[in-house]
Amino acid sequence: MYWIIKLDKSLAWLSKLCGVIACLAMILMAVNVFYDVVARYVFNDVSIAMQEMEWHLYSVVFLLGIPYALRTDGHVRVDVFYTRWGNKTKAWVNILGALIFVIPFAYLIGRYGYSFALDSFQMGEGSGDPGGLPHRWVIKAVIPLSAVFMATAGLNMVTYAIRVLSGEKEYVGEHSAGGLA
Amino acid sequence: QDTFTLKLAETWGPNFPIFGDATKSMAQMAEKMSNGRLKIRIDSANKHKAPLGVFDMVKAGQYDMGHSASYYWKGKVPNTLFFTSMPFGMTALEQYAWFYYDEGMDLMQEVYEPHNMLSFPGGNTGNQMGGWFRKEIKSLDDLKGLKMRIPGFAGEVFAEVGVNPTNIAPGELYTALERNTIDALEWVGPALDLRLGFHQIADYYYTGWHEPATELQFLINKRVWERLPADLQEILRVAMRTAAYDMLIHSQHENAKAWANIKQDYPNVQIKNFPDDVFQAMYDANQKLLKEAAGNNEQAARIVKSLEDYQRDSRAYTRISDNAYLNTMAEIE
Amino acid sequence: MIGMIMFGVALIMLMFGFPVAFTFGGVALVFGIYAEGMDLFAFMPYRIMSVMQNTVLMAVPLFIFMGVVLQRTKLAEQLLTSMGRLFGGLPGGLAISTILVGALLAASTGVVGASVVAMGLISLPVMLAHKYDKRLATGTICASGTLGQIVPPSIILIILGDVLGLPVGDLFRAAVGPGVLLIGLYIVYILVLTRLKPQTAPAMPKDDDSISRGKEIRDALLAIIPPLALIIVVLGSIFTGIATPTESSALGGIGAVVLALIYRQFSFKMVWDAAKDTVSVTAMVFAILIGATAFSMVFSYTGGDYLLEEWLLMLPGEQWGFIILAMLVILILGFFIDFVEISFIIVPILAPVAEALGINMLWFAILVAMNLQTSFLTPPFGFSLFYLKGVAPPNVRTIDIYKGIVPFILIQILVLALIVIFPEWFGMSSTY
Ligand code: NA
Ligand code: NA
Repeated sequence: MYWIIKLDKSLAWLSKLCGVIACLAMILMAVNVFYDVVARYVFNDVSIAMQEMEWHLYSVVFLLGIPYALRTDGHVRVDVFYTRWGNKTKAWVNILGALIFVIPFAYLIGRYGYSFALDSFQMGEGSGDPGGLPHRWVIKAVIPLSAVFMATAGLNMVTYAIRVLSGEKEYVGEHSAGGLA
Repeated sequence: QDTFTLKLAETWGPNFPIFGDATKSMAQMAEKMSNGRLKIRIDSANKHKAPLGVFDMVKAGQYDMGHSASYYWKGKVPNTLFFTSMPFGMTALEQYAWFYYDEGMDLMQEVYEPHNMLSFPGGNTGNQMGGWFRKEIKSLDDLKGLKMRIPGFAGEVFAEVGVNPTNIAPGELYTALERNTIDALEWVGPALDLRLGFHQIADYYYTGWHEPATELQFLINKRVWERLPADLQEILRVAMRTAAYDMLIHSQHENAKAWANIKQDYPNVQIKNFPDDVFQAMYDANQKLLKEAAGNNEQAARIVKSLEDYQRDSRAYTRISDNAYLNTMAEIE
Repeated sequence: MIGMIMFGVALIMLMFGFPVAFTFGGVALVFGIYAEGMDLFAFMPYRIMSVMQNTVLMAVPLFIFMGVVLQRTKLAEQLLTSMGRLFGGLPGGLAISTILVGALLAASTGVVGASVVAMGLISLPVMLAHKYDKRLATGTICASGTLGQIVPPSIILIILGDVLGLPVGDLFRAAVGPGVLLIGLYIVYILVLTRLKPQTAPAMPKDDDSISRGKEIRDALLAIIPPLALIIVVLGSIFTGIATPTESSALGGIGAVVLALIYRQFSFKMVWDAAKDTVSVTAMVFAILIGATAFSMVFSYTGGDYLLEEWLLMLPGEQWGFIILAMLVILILGFFIDFVEISFIIVPILAPVAEALGINMLWFAILVAMNLQTSFLTPPFGFSLFYLKGVAPPNVRTIDIYKGIVPFILIQILVLALIVIFPEWFGMSSTY
């Protein structure tokens, strides 16, 4: 059991790391868009590179946000039965869901995403627009990277569920978006 | 005898006029001429969701064929740029002659070959319009700092003369032009521009210089091509060539019709030529950029030389034939 | 046929309560591998890439960020409760305020995920704190958060303009009337409901009984000004062309932080926490989009789109029968399939028939657009409902949201019927 707890905590740490990077990207994106509007309107200056940076950052926000939200239980569930079930049943739903849905889904996206990014790297793909960003493979590589973390977050659902089954932890209510609203 | 079903991914949405019609007519011809042995199933952008992934998908064999424009791959394989249309380049007739009777086709295969694909001319839009402007361009100064949606190589030429090329999501183009977020934009020509309603919000429609003969391409995965028996290869080749030529005619027909409509319903729209100093500056910028591109690698240098040589010779004849005729007609009309 | 079975299975699997996004993705995976093999999923990176490059969707995180900051700094609460106070002893004031704020947001964005979530963050906690009926509160938010689809600028209208070959400007102008009527009827509904059942939406209590009505109104107006100014800045930046609708959402987010500075609510921790909430909610929205794109990929690559085409070709060829059945088909498909698919697959099949019948295409397009915005709200797969559930507190159940939306759907069907029967009210005609 000790090693499960340890594994659970390490996996959770990975997802949190994704969250931190996504948060940074989120703040940078808002500043980036704001800057572009001001530069265009006030200084009549447009940079395609800065405009492309907007969607690069935005992609990081959601691609790394997805594994983070798996850890915080931020992904919306249909709660017709789920909230009425006890900890054990919830644990089994989460174990089976993670093993049948999340991990295989992440595996396929990761596998095909890897060759998608690799091909772009080998061609030296960059933007086709005037003054655009080079190295398109970097942002494409975030797709398989996100898949790797989706898989570890899926495994993390399993380790947490095992801790719940052993009675050491429990699901603290259901808190979509961390009980945001 | 074996039947073959090829899957084709096109960059356009379903029912996209003219471009999409070219793909459909090619598929129909191939099927009829082969007596049903060669079937082509077309998937539009709404199905594969990757309008600009056609190159990669055909390369990887996820699709057997593609229909798109070569210059979209400029960011991936820079020398694909030259096979669509170049600013101050050839007219459709001249360019088709370069493809089919000069080096055009061989050079194009040479560029696509390392990516496991064959490429064929896939239809021409004819001369594209120079774009919609909300203010008249009277001198080079009017272009300085102008915010314009203009992608690709033409965007680089515009940037050289002081324009600010600007990215705008297609879904926001109309709003951006209407509310002066941008000052100008370039799309295709009357038939396709009419659908987006730009004529309702911009008065100045400039004549073209940047895409005198936009040629689309059919792509086919090389292994798939080699698997086809010789007769089906020939049928496919003829279907592609016929569909391509037909699209040029179709473009002319639809553009003339659409332009007549715009002229009648929107008398506010004025056709303008860029002033001479603007043209000269853009021409110089274009020569400079071409030289830079040719300086970077041997293949680009060969392609640029071939294009320039052919254009020079071919244009000399165009001038004393079609050009002379149109000029004479203009004087008596 | 496999596509149809897949819908049924997805519906059942959703009931187990595993996250919606991964249920969609997982069910698609099982059916996709079974029908077409693993390599079908080589298309997934392209589909994800097309979401990444769809910069209009950037408005989702940016609007959510604005909503979270307004909520964390209590400015949203101040806006809504003050607006509610203006209604004095009238019940339903908060709900009407929510609809009005939703209408303003609708005029600034056309992205549903952005406005529903932002509205959920801004007004759901306030309405619940004031003892509003959960169903009324969630229904009001989903409906007013989805107004952005019909009130221009709107993505549905732009796509329909493209598919039907109509100028976008004409569509935008034609959609204003139906949009305004919809807003008006939502408000009338709230007024009627609260007259019949005042306990569903209690009137705002006075802070202090000794305050005169005049002073109360004055205080409320003063409190409304800052957050309202922010919304006006956002809208103004679009109308004056300073920013595109997407960019304006960044102005909103930065503007909200500036407001927080002015009101001494600013701290780096507040911004960081807001970013964390934003990332979590954004991830929820985009995971659903990615799961859904896997789902629609399997649906269409297993021939579901061809099957739909076949069925549609059997519609009757006579004007009223055609219109009524076409609207029914879109409404029913809207339960299951997302609006982009409908616009691209189904509308092109219906359009030539409509044209042959001499139907005015502008009118037809507005009918389709009205119908499609309803599809965001129809249980069980209406995306707006999932999005709101994603930011709602646990005591708001999925079923509350499903039930809460029903009256609003009925209002939308009523407006749709009015446009069908009295096109001239909206400045259109049904035929050429
Ligand atoms: Na063009
Ligand atoms: Na809108």
